[in-house]
Amino acid sequence: MKLVIIFLILNLTSITFAEEKEKNTVYKYKDYEVIDLGSLEIKGQIIAPGDITISEKERKVFKRSLLEKDNFDYENKREIENLR
Amino acid sequence: MKSIIAFLLIIFHTSEAAFASAKSANEVFLKEKGRDKNKLIAHELIDGEFYFSAIPFINNYLEDNNRIDSELEADIETLVIKTGSIAILNLEDKRLEKFTSPSISLILGTRLFNKEEYKKALDVLNNIPEDHKFSIESALIKGTIKNLERKNIEALVLYDSCMKKAKRSEDELKNEKLKKYYNYLFETCMIRTARLKIEEKKYTEAIEIYDQIDKRSYKWPYVLLDKAWANYYLGDYNRSLGLAVTFKSPLMESYFFPEAEVLTALSYYNLCLWDDSLSVVEHFYDFYQSKALELKDLLGKNKKSETYFLDLYYADAKTREDLNPFIRNLITQTRKQVKFNLDLASLMAAKEELLQLKRLKNKNTFTTNLEQNLDSTISFISKKINFYIKKEIFTFLNEIHKHSYSMFNLKLELLSKKREEIYKPNNVMDDRSRGTAENVKRKKNQYFFDFNGSFWADELGDYSFGLTSKCKTE
Repeated sequence: MKLVIIFLILNLTSITFAEEKEKNTVYKYKDYEVIDLGSLEIKGQIIAPGDITISEKERKVFKRSLLEKDNFDYENKREIENLR
Repeated sequence: MKSIIAFLLIIFHTSEAAFASAKSANEVFLKEKGRDKNKLIAHELIDGEFYFSAIPFINNYLEDNNRIDSELEADIETLVIKTGSIAILNLEDKRLEKFTSPSISLILGTRLFNKEEYKKALDVLNNIPEDHKFSIESALIKGTIKNLERKNIEALVLYDSCMKKAKRSEDELKNEKLKKYYNYLFETCMIRTARLKIEEKKYTEAIEIYDQIDKRSYKWPYVLLDKAWANYYLGDYNRSLGLAVTFKSPLMESYFFPEAEVLTALSYYNLCLWDDSLSVVEHFYDFYQSKALELKDLLGKNKKSETYFLDLYYADAKTREDLNPFIRNLITQTRKQVKFNLDLASLMAAKEELLQLKRLKNKNTFTTNLEQNLDSTISFISKKINFYIKKEIFTFLNEIHKHSYSMFNLKLELLSKKREEIYKPNNVMDDRSRGTAENVKRKKNQYFFDFNGSFWADELGDYSFGLTSKCKTE
């Protein structure tokens, strides 16, 4: 009995989908398009390299801080420490 | 024979005088009940040359009293001269600030300076009158404070005052040790003037001042490095290399200046001699890395010991020989410091004073207390010296680390220059000659001699390299 009921439900569903497929959609395209070239202009120019070159870029130089002797604070303090 | 008798008479006389003073001090100790008791005991002890024994009594008096009369001022001054900074060691800064005595002001001013409390130190040092014997050290410390504050004109005036007073005292005094001390102060202030000239970029003037320091002076090896920097900034890299190489002389083997290695490498770098510079950098790591590890190990193993480093100083020849030569030389270098020598002299004097106390006849509670106090003072001075040596080694180790960072940066820079050389081969001159007399810049009073591989004492400090710069001249 159960099987019969399931069969009937499936059958009803397929009938509904078949009805929907029958509605046709019509797509219509333009026959032609007019482009007015008179109002367009081309700006700039075509650039082509004369020969194959790569413009030379300066290499990035990382400057590290090297020892500088701007003052003698360290030595002067040590001298007072060593005085008495 | 006569001299032996004279010596025995002096000993007898001294011990008699000492006995008399100790006896008087004991009488004051027993009879005096007033607030001046400690002051009077200290006076009697100082009179009998028991300086270290007098310290606790002076400290106790100053703890409870604010008034310092002329007699006490003279006693404190004697104690400061004879025992150094430990004369008022037990007193807190806050307590000492209450007094305007020149002797106390010098000790407190130095203490505050070392704690980097410069403004307070300046106020305290201003208590020392201009004509006082401690005004020389005071001018040096005050000048240093102004120097640190970049008040160069004021610093120069103070350094100049220090030099004049020190020179006058040196000429007036007969005692050789005191003469040497004033000469040390004179040269220190002179070097400060030269350093200020470098800071103001007046390098030629600085070199002229450095040239006035005698080669036999204790300060001379330290001047070499300063002078090398002045030449470096003048662009005379060959001269700065020559000055730095002086430390390689066998006569100066106990002096280690990692900074001299950095300066050598920098001088080669500025001559565009990358490979030479790199080899100095590599040598720095090879030489100092193992030494630094050894020092670190030594410090780590003995950091809690209160005697180990002082024992190294007293060690017999055999033990010393077994030490790493580097550590041995470092101890030798520490022994040349004024503070170390003053503290060591204090230690010996305190031990001698203890013997004197033990030799006294008629022992009593007072003399037993004096002996116990002196025992603790001796132990304190020993720990202080031990700590000082340890600190010096620690400072040196830090210096190696600091300069290894400078070397690391320089190495990166050198590798970058070498890479550039590959990209732009025309950046440096290709024909490289190893040196010629033409590259040696000389003054009228300087003569030229070739270096034949041996260092001569009278030539030290006058070397110059003759390398041709490899940098491209535009």
